[in-house]
Amino acid sequence: MIGFRLAAQRPPDPERITDTVVMRFEHIYEVDPNLMTEHTPQQSFPAWDTLRIVDSRWEHLAWMHDHFADSVVSGEELLREIEGEEGEEA
Amino acid sequence: MPTVTLSDALLDELVQICGEEHVFAGAAARFNRARVPSPFPVHRWDEFVPDAVVLPTSAEQISEVVKLANRERVPVVPRAGGTGLTDGAVPLRHGIMVDVKLMNRILELDLEDRTVTVQPGINMLKLSEELKPHGFIYPDNPASYPCSLVGGRIGTSGWSLIGGRYGHTRDLVISFELVLPTGEIVRVGDGGGPKVRKSSSGYQLKHLFMGHQGTLGIVTEATLELVKRPEAEFSAFYAYPSYLDAWRATGDFARSGAATLAGVVLFDEWKLAYLRRDDEAYIPQPESVKAVVALALYGNDDEVRASAKRMLRLGKASGGTYLGDEISQGDWASRHDRYATPLHGRTRDGQVVPMSWHCEDASILYSQLPAVREKWHAIAAGLRERFDMFDDWGMFAYTNGAFKPWGDYLTEIDIGIWEMQWDDESWAAWVDAKREIARVALEHGGSISACHGSCREGEVDLVPEELGGGFEVMKAVKRALDPNNVMNPGKYLLDRAYEEDAP
Amino acid sequence: MATREVGSEGGDGALTEQFVAEWRNAAYNCYSSGHKFCREVCPVMQVTRDEAHTPTAFHANVVAMEQGHLSIEDVARDYVHCTQCGACELRCPNTLFTGDFYRFRTRTVDLVKAVRALAVESGVHQPGWQRWNELTDERKNEPVLNGTPVSQEHVADWADGLGLPVGGETVLFCDCEAAFYRTSLPRAVARILQAAGVEFGLMREQWCCGGPAAEMGYVDQARRFAEHNVADWRAVGAKRILVLDPHDYISFTEDYPRFFGDDYDFEIVLVVELVAELLREGKLTLSAPVDRVATYHDACRLNKRKGIYEAPREILRAIPGLTFKDVDHVTQWSYCSGAGAGLSIERPDLTAEISRRRVERAKRLEVDTLVSACVWSERPLSEQGESQDVEVVDLMELVAQAAGLEL
Ligand SMILES: Cc1cc2nc3c(=O)[nH]c(=O)nc-3n(C[C@H](O)[C@H](O)[C@H](O)COP(=O)(O)OP(=O)(O)OC[C@H]3O[C@@H](n4cnc5c(N)ncnc54)[C@H](O)[C@@H]3O)c2cc1C
Ligand code: SF4
Repeated sequence: MIGFRLAAQRPPDPERITDTVVMRFEHIYEVDPNLMTEHTPQQSFPAWDTLRIVDSRWEHLAWMHDHFADSVVSGEELLREIEGEEGEEA
Repeated sequence: MPTVTLSDALLDELVQICGEEHVFAGAAARFNRARVPSPFPVHRWDEFVPDAVVLPTSAEQISEVVKLANRERVPVVPRAGGTGLTDGAVPLRHGIMVDVKLMNRILELDLEDRTVTVQPGINMLKLSEELKPHGFIYPDNPASYPCSLVGGRIGTSGWSLIGGRYGHTRDLVISFELVLPTGEIVRVGDGGGPKVRKSSSGYQLKHLFMGHQGTLGIVTEATLELVKRPEAEFSAFYAYPSYLDAWRATGDFARSGAATLAGVVLFDEWKLAYLRRDDEAYIPQPESVKAVVALALYGNDDEVRASAKRMLRLGKASGGTYLGDEISQGDWASRHDRYATPLHGRTRDGQVVPMSWHCEDASILYSQLPAVREKWHAIAAGLRERFDMFDDWGMFAYTNGAFKPWGDYLTEIDIGIWEMQWDDESWAAWVDAKREIARVALEHGGSISACHGSCREGEVDLVPEELGGGFEVMKAVKRALDPNNVMNPGKYLLDRAYEEDAP
Repeated sequence: MATREVGSEGGDGALTEQFVAEWRNAAYNCYSSGHKFCREVCPVMQVTRDEAHTPTAFHANVVAMEQGHLSIEDVARDYVHCTQCGACELRCPNTLFTGDFYRFRTRTVDLVKAVRALAVESGVHQPGWQRWNELTDERKNEPVLNGTPVSQEHVADWADGLGLPVGGETVLFCDCEAAFYRTSLPRAVARILQAAGVEFGLMREQWCCGGPAAEMGYVDQARRFAEHNVADWRAVGAKRILVLDPHDYISFTEDYPRFFGDDYDFEIVLVVELVAELLREGKLTLSAPVDRVATYHDACRLNKRKGIYEAPREILRAIPGLTFKDVDHVTQWSYCSGAGAGLSIERPDLTAEISRRRVERAKRLEVDTLVSACVWSERPLSEQGESQDVEVVDLMELVAQAAGLEL
């Protein structure tokens, strides 16, 4: 969906994950807001901003991989290869 | 309130040397160059403010500034990125700050003999971006890779996260030009030719002029190693049920002999507890995960694949649980960013407060890691008990040696400090704690610092003990090269070089 | 500049105190990191290399003000050195890695605006900005032509002959720079929308969005302008506002909601995103080949501040004949034209140098065209493009050409 509407920017209510962690958007953890009541109040955070930061983080990480090497070797893939080799040996 | 102690005449001379637009004496310019990111007594800020700041554009200008400082007996403090964690770029006696950031050009790219010559104000990440189209990288990769600068890397003799494979700053800097404390401009390297990697001519001056925290001169140009960009990167994160299991596995990985091995990192359970506070990779980990080991490989694709398989077999044999590609790759790529996060800070009752990050960085022998760990955590616990402004953020140990990454480890305990709370009492307790942390490192046959340097309040008291007769040599060198004690005075107890009975 | 001053005791006590109380936590949050990951991405810092122009300093100054070491007079000028591009606050690990988790991120842009506002309230003016805002207040639009009269009478001259109605559910807001200077952009946009069958009208009386005033610290004026525009939207029955400039998009999605709260029920649509959608839906087709080799300049306010970088690329890839040499949008976090937030008014030399470097980077890709989606960037970039033989065009101008539309 394109277009900004203020009403759509209110984040969903949090769901508890651990003693100190909650979740509002899928796969996005947040601190339990009760821990930020005394010294460091939370800021008002429209939904677009949360999603922008999360997306940017992944883009930044991909950029870092690309900065250091042409390709990234997957451990999961190699583990499957190793299993195959071990299977053959057995 | 600090008052400017430099005379108008002296400021005028600085302007004549560096140009009006490159000399700053305003309050904001000076206050913002008093501090580095290590814990700082904010309640005593004005004690560390330089009198004037210059942003020179050439070695000749720096030489003139240093000569002027000698004539007038005014301190000179070099500053590059200002990210150093041992307060090297913090003026202890005010004076003239020589900020080298404006000298950030690439001077020569030699694709044939594989060197790149740069000015000291250039940042490594930015340099590597320029090298990428040519197929090269400059792999001096501290966690401060996006922000520290080549001059500061030389000033501290830094340590790189991928140094096991590519070497640390001292292995990657071939030669450099510097302005001596008396103003002469010299070039030091391994030998005569600025691009020679190994020579036996004369004293090995390159090492002497690295890691001196700006007490022996100001680097104005450096010739660096040009390294082929890796074809492949591999990283793997393993979980273990206990610290000792993880420690043994760390040893196995580090001693594997794989030439592509860039580094192995051991996280203890305090570090995991800390990461569980806010790191998406660790929040869902079960409580049975008590320690983590990470490793990274770089190099040609075929070599990386072969050694990755070896590592995966070792990981399995060591009883580790592979944490999957997403965490392995994502956490490795975030190695620069996950360090100093203020909101990790918690008061004793669990409230979030912004805390600064103290990073202890001793070199500790592999065999001594478990023992040192316990003593360090005890010191941190003592601090937190007395003052609800300190927080134990856990420990990392990284393979330390270049190319032979198995004997000792850069060992850090991270301590969060709520700096809004400083007063003289808590500051004094902190300085004592730092001295104690350093003492433990020495008692176990280690060194106070693997990369930052050891000239902060507290730890610096033990430097003569660590170096023994070597400290006497340091004093003799300092007095010989800097007869007026103008270069970054007050650092490393080097004032003692000028006391009556000094050598 | 080697003027001698010593730290003073602080300007207007009460105003500064209030400001410090509001910004103290945020300031300490940066101060406690102080690691400067923000520095090398900052377009101004890349040129001046002056630590006093960094977000680190911008935050530490607040701590120093709290400690009584610095006053607003000491620091006001330093805060001129910011284009509010948002690179620093996005790259800051306290945003990028933990901002979402804590619902507490680095807000350098807001801080810079707040300090500028404190300066204005404390009577510390930057002469160029003061004059700019006085003229804007008089004329209701920004004095973009350096002397050529800007006035309400002429605010819709760009639309001559296009037959656009006033009012309706959907209204196109035309930025001042576009309305008075680069009129080819709004004409292109109007033609494209008409060709795609989008119905829209213009405002009765379009004033400046107020964003620039807010960016330079003239908050009351910004609010007055916002109030006028919103009243005009309501008067013509508008529900949906089409925006062709990223700066206006920021005003309408960040400043206006702050001014008006929940009453602010308009839908704000960025033209670039709308056009990408029209192409996707087949309502607009591009069939006239555009024979150019181009790269795209990520508009800072879209890429860094809003995370909008895909739509413009999607459009560029849909243009027939165009050879598109892309530079990824993360690399472009450190790119800027230098035009934003009044820098070009107070430090035109810096804007020119930032633009020169941006064009130089394009030139290295061996392109003949630099495409932008931010009208404010296009003037300084074009000036530099002339001497480096790179033509600067707006994305919508290119789309209009590819759609075979006459401007
Ligand atoms: C988040 C973070 C992570 C870090 N991670 C690492 C890490 O992994 N490895 C590591 O080694 N360090 C690390 N550090 C510490 C710091 O980045 C390094 O010590 C770095 O080498 C300092 O470089 P700088 O350019 O910031 O130098 P500065 O702090 O400006 O200066 C450092 C010292 O060098 C001197 N100096 C500066 N310029 C010159 C010059 N031109 N000639 C001579 N002396 C000079 C200064 O006087 C000072 O004593 C980290 C710091 C931070 C904030
Ligand atoms: S703005 Fe962010 S990156 Fe920059 S110094 Fe502050 S905390 Fe560090």
